[in-house]
Amino acid sequence: MTTCLRGGRAFALTAAVFIGLLVPAGGVLAHGPDPAFSGGSFGQDQVLRFRWRSGSEPSPAIKTAIKEAAADVASSRSSRAAMFTYDAAGANPIGYGVGATCGVNGLACFTRDAPKGFTMWLREQGHVFDWGTLKWCQSYTTAPNGCYDAETIALDEFGHVESLDHHVNYSTNSDYEDAVVQTFSSTKPSTGWNRHTFGRCDSATLQLKYDVTSSSAKVSTCLDVATVLTLTASSVSIPTGGTTTLTARLNAVASASYGRLSGNALGGRTVTLQRRATGTSTWATVGTMPSGSLGGTYVVAQRPTADTQYRAVFTTPTNEGINGDTSPTVAVDVVTCTTVASSDVAIAIPCA
Amino acid sequence: MVESRWLRWIGPGVVAVGAVGFIASATFGAGVRPWIPQGCAGPSPGLTGAARDPGAADLAALPSTAWFRLDPLADEAGDLRGQRLAVGLDGDRTARTLDLPVESFAAGPFGRVVLAGSDDGVASRLEAIDVEGGCSWTIAVAADVIRRATVDLAGTTVYEMRIDRATRGDLGIWSRPIDGRGAARRVLEPIPVDERFGRTWSTEFAWSLDGDRLAVQSCGEAACRTRIILPGGGRAPMLDAPDLGLLVGLDGDRLVTYAACRGLPCPVIVTDLRGGGRRVLADDVRAAVLVRTADGARLIHEQGAGIRARLRAAPLDGRLATDLGPLPDGLRLQASPIEAASATKVPAGWVLLTPDGRLPIEPSATRPILRHIPDGATVPLDEALR
Repeated sequence: MTTCLRGGRAFALTAAVFIGLLVPAGGVLAHGPDPAFSGGSFGQDQVLRFRWRSGSEPSPAIKTAIKEAAADVASSRSSRAAMFTYDAAGANPIGYGVGATCGVNGLACFTRDAPKGFTMWLREQGHVFDWGTLKWCQSYTTAPNGCYDAETIALDEFGHVESLDHHVNYSTNSDYEDAVVQTFSSTKPSTGWNRHTFGRCDSATLQLKYDVTSSSAKVSTCLDVATVLTLTASSVSIPTGGTTTLTARLNAVASASYGRLSGNALGGRTVTLQRRATGTSTWATVGTMPSGSLGGTYVVAQRPTADTQYRAVFTTPTNEGINGDTSPTVAVDVVTCTTVASSDVAIAIPCA
Repeated sequence: MVESRWLRWIGPGVVAVGAVGFIASATFGAGVRPWIPQGCAGPSPGLTGAARDPGAADLAALPSTAWFRLDPLADEAGDLRGQRLAVGLDGDRTARTLDLPVESFAAGPFGRVVLAGSDDGVASRLEAIDVEGGCSWTIAVAADVIRRATVDLAGTTVYEMRIDRATRGDLGIWSRPIDGRGAARRVLEPIPVDERFGRTWSTEFAWSLDGDRLAVQSCGEAACRTRIILPGGGRAPMLDAPDLGLLVGLDGDRLVTYAACRGLPCPVIVTDLRGGGRRVLADDVRAAVLVRTADGARLIHEQGAGIRARLRAAPLDGRLATDLGPLPDGLRLQASPIEAASATKVPAGWVLLTPDGRLPIEPSATRPILRHIPDGATVPLDEALR
């Protein structure tokens, strides 16, 4: 049972990098969730209200793009990460052009002071870099090739504010669309130039930092979370014709590397009950266990006619980043009334 | 003296003068004077004297110290229409402004000179503005695009970063005598293409604290490569680690940079250019500047934000950082010219705190203050100038 993230990548990459010891020259790192900044997170589902910076307001087209990027965060965060909304009286200024504190390079920049607030800047249309002139696609009726999509860039910046550092791609960049928070931004019409949702490796880190929205919410496929499945019986010794209730519990393994997902109950998944006659080796599928009333539980009643062993099976799903597990075996014995009456006070009832 | 209240673009071309002039006129405050520098009298050798670093200054020298600030000018659609350069002397808070084209830059101060580069799409012009004298010299007019320039400590040599006008490809670093006697020659080759850094977004110059080494930093979207021109013209090996970002400063063989972050806070790292060893000087740095003190170089940086923001001083040799107290409300550390697009010179051992980390153009703005690094003592800039 592994407790590593997919690719063996430590979650606290950023901290490790900056404590000195750094990415090897060439930046060869395995694919995985976006690295995360040190310095804390915002509250779960915290709403961060932004306003336009006085004297440095974005143009109408860029304002619209920023607001849409804020909506993109809400619709694609797949977690309880902070959300952003425009409020003329908001505490967090977003500026454009004049007075940008972005240094000399980059399209946009931010400061974060979790959990208190943030700032953001976007460069002005027409800013001249060594390579040429910045064009925001939103500034044109028909966006020209080579322009940057302001909504995508603003979404990238909101991701940074949440705590996401740049995704580390394969050397081929084949996984570029796994994240919108990228070191190199794409221009039209390159891959990912107008992505308006967080990628799976962005949301993976958001889930680690902020948790998923419910026990049945899908875990990002950019993660590789080990699970633990247990099975208990309400009674392991029942009279002939009696019933025992089997309860399976599916949880993420408790591990610091899973952040807020550590130990989470995993509900709404497909957990299968299997059985075999005691003394035999072949398992037969009984069926899918219905969800119980508690998150992460699956419950079914059984009326075995002979001594029977049960186990629950959770098969690794293809649509989320959790691993399968099989519970330990639970044996349920079917006994006569005499034996029951003399040995098990829990079933001290007359035989039917 | 009455300044003429009109504008011009410095540079060989005239682009949208009327539009920018309107914007400028509408935003001027009482202490801001649109200005056209006259040609400086006498031969260009006089420029060497003007651009020479006067050496270690004290507070008494502040009134005659030049400053500049560069701001973009955007139209109502948010499109950049030019940049406004404001220059002045610390002892005279009257700002003189020049409107520059979209592709333009400013650097300095070098002695009492601020460099202004402008490009009109046909040619680049490099001018030296003698802020105290109220005049300017034309240093160069080039068919290539001059993206950045700087002047050495002696005020004798100009270094330029050029790109090809058609392809925007890097043409390397060129130097020329500031007095115009002698042709420009290339002193650094174009930086090689390296996909780890992507295309070059900016190339910046920064002199070491002693003023004898020139750092030339070429940045991609986040990460930067740095080359050093040594005294006598030699070169140090290029530092090209893709986890290093924007330059903070250079002290001898120790290069201080941010990590390759897109935002702040961000770690600041010192790299030994001889041995390659490196150390994180501070983890959560906002604005930062490298300064000389009587006890060696110090990274002065902001830590925390809002009412929790404080100034700290970190030695480069691993000794413990010291606290310089909280940042006054409304003021931030004036960072390097690369970050702030604004600069003046303050005496060794002092840092400048300014509104939003940039020298204000309007004299009525929040008062900048000087803070003394050894003891955290604070002096309002305008009181230091009396």
